[in-house]
Amino acid sequence: MEARVYFDLGGLQLGISVMTTWGIMAFLALFAWLITRNLKLTPSPVQALAESIVTMIENAVLEVAPDHGRQIMPFIATIWLFLIVANLASLIPHIHSPTNDLSVTSAFAILVFLSVHWFGIKTQGMKNYLSHYLEPSPILLPFHIISEFTRTLALAIRLFGNMMSLETAAMLVLLVAGFLAPIPILMLHIIEALVQAYIFGMLALIYLASAIQTQHPTSQE
Amino acid sequence: MEFNLSTFGLEIANFLILVWILQRLFYKPLHAIIAKRKQEIDQTLLDAKTVKQEAQKEREIYENRQQAWEQEKQAALTVFHQRLDAERATYLTNLQRELEQERQINQVTLEREKQEFQHTAQQRALKNAAKFSGILLQQTVTPELEMRLAQLLLQRLTTFDFSLSSGETAIKITSAYPIPTEFQQQLEIRFSNLCAESLTFDYQQDASLIAGLRIELGSWVLNANLKHELNSFAELAYELE
Repeated sequence: MEARVYFDLGGLQLGISVMTTWGIMAFLALFAWLITRNLKLTPSPVQALAESIVTMIENAVLEVAPDHGRQIMPFIATIWLFLIVANLASLIPHIHSPTNDLSVTSAFAILVFLSVHWFGIKTQGMKNYLSHYLEPSPILLPFHIISEFTRTLALAIRLFGNMMSLETAAMLVLLVAGFLAPIPILMLHIIEALVQAYIFGMLALIYLASAIQTQHPTSQE
Repeated sequence: MEFNLSTFGLEIANFLILVWILQRLFYKPLHAIIAKRKQEIDQTLLDAKTVKQEAQKEREIYENRQQAWEQEKQAALTVFHQRLDAERATYLTNLQRELEQERQINQVTLEREKQEFQHTAQQRALKNAAKFSGILLQQTVTPELEMRLAQLLLQRLTTFDFSLSSGETAIKITSAYPIPTEFQQQLEIRFSNLCAESLTFDYQQDASLIAGLRIELGSWVLNANLKHELNSFAELAYELE
């Protein structure tokens, strides 16, 4: 699967994934602006839905990271919202899902990787944060480092592989079986899109929470 | 499965921009309105709690007041019953006293009626006795007895002092039997001696006197007859009782 490039601005190539991402960003921004432009204490059904989404995500984050949940909530919530919309975008004809692109999923995986260290250092300080790589024994340091890279790679490959295979399978079924046959595959696509978004966001949340919470073994006890 | 470094970098930038946009347009406003609603709810709950506490206080005040009213009512009822009992006792005492007085008055009245009845009966008995005695004496009396009584009167008249007013000069002498002329003259001489003025004599006859004389001179009445004596005996017997 080749990534098509629409524009090349002095070496900066704007591909289909970036264009779709901008569209998704515009959609999410417009959706957010339309909902929040006239908020009321007595919510409308749409406002109630938006509040429920935010509250549900916030509760999920606070359950995993009760101490710093509010700090990492925008990051995790944005991952979830973006990945849900991005994964479901391929259901629209002629729209290419950004998560079918390894560059995109790698970018998200790197964002999670950097965020883990960013929030860990920000919360605990450089020395305290780096010291957890030496626990319970300095011998385990290489394994910690390998674990950091492999889980980031796994994040990128898992999302990319699942979404790409799903879209490829749907295309193959459509080509082989006819026009109405892929409908069950599309239903599976919806479920798989939601599940993959949830898994990616939840893993990111767990990685972030572990980076923040593991610095407080005494307080956790 | 091609990796594009531009896409990779732009996606990182895009995501960070999206986080900023959603944080500004979505999370913050919704958090703010949720917090404001929570604050409103907390304030409403606080107000409700305050109102509930005030209602509780009002209820306690009302219950205390009601209890005080109940105690006042009980006290007033107790005083009322005490006064009622005192009034009843007073009325009963007065009633018993009045009844006792009535009973005593009735007893006294009864005694008096009884005494009057006895007196009337005795008086009637005495009158009947005098009447029977008079009837008996009328059958047994004689002109000689009348003369003896007249003689006795005449003897007693010697020391009698009449104080007559002017114009009282007529003497009415009543007897059961005709008075002999000689004795009439003795009576006229005796009365003329006793009175300074000249007298006129009128002789009458009344058989009810049984025997004896009755002499009326002005405001004086001299009875020397059996009828008068019998009545005197009856009256004397009544007075002695």
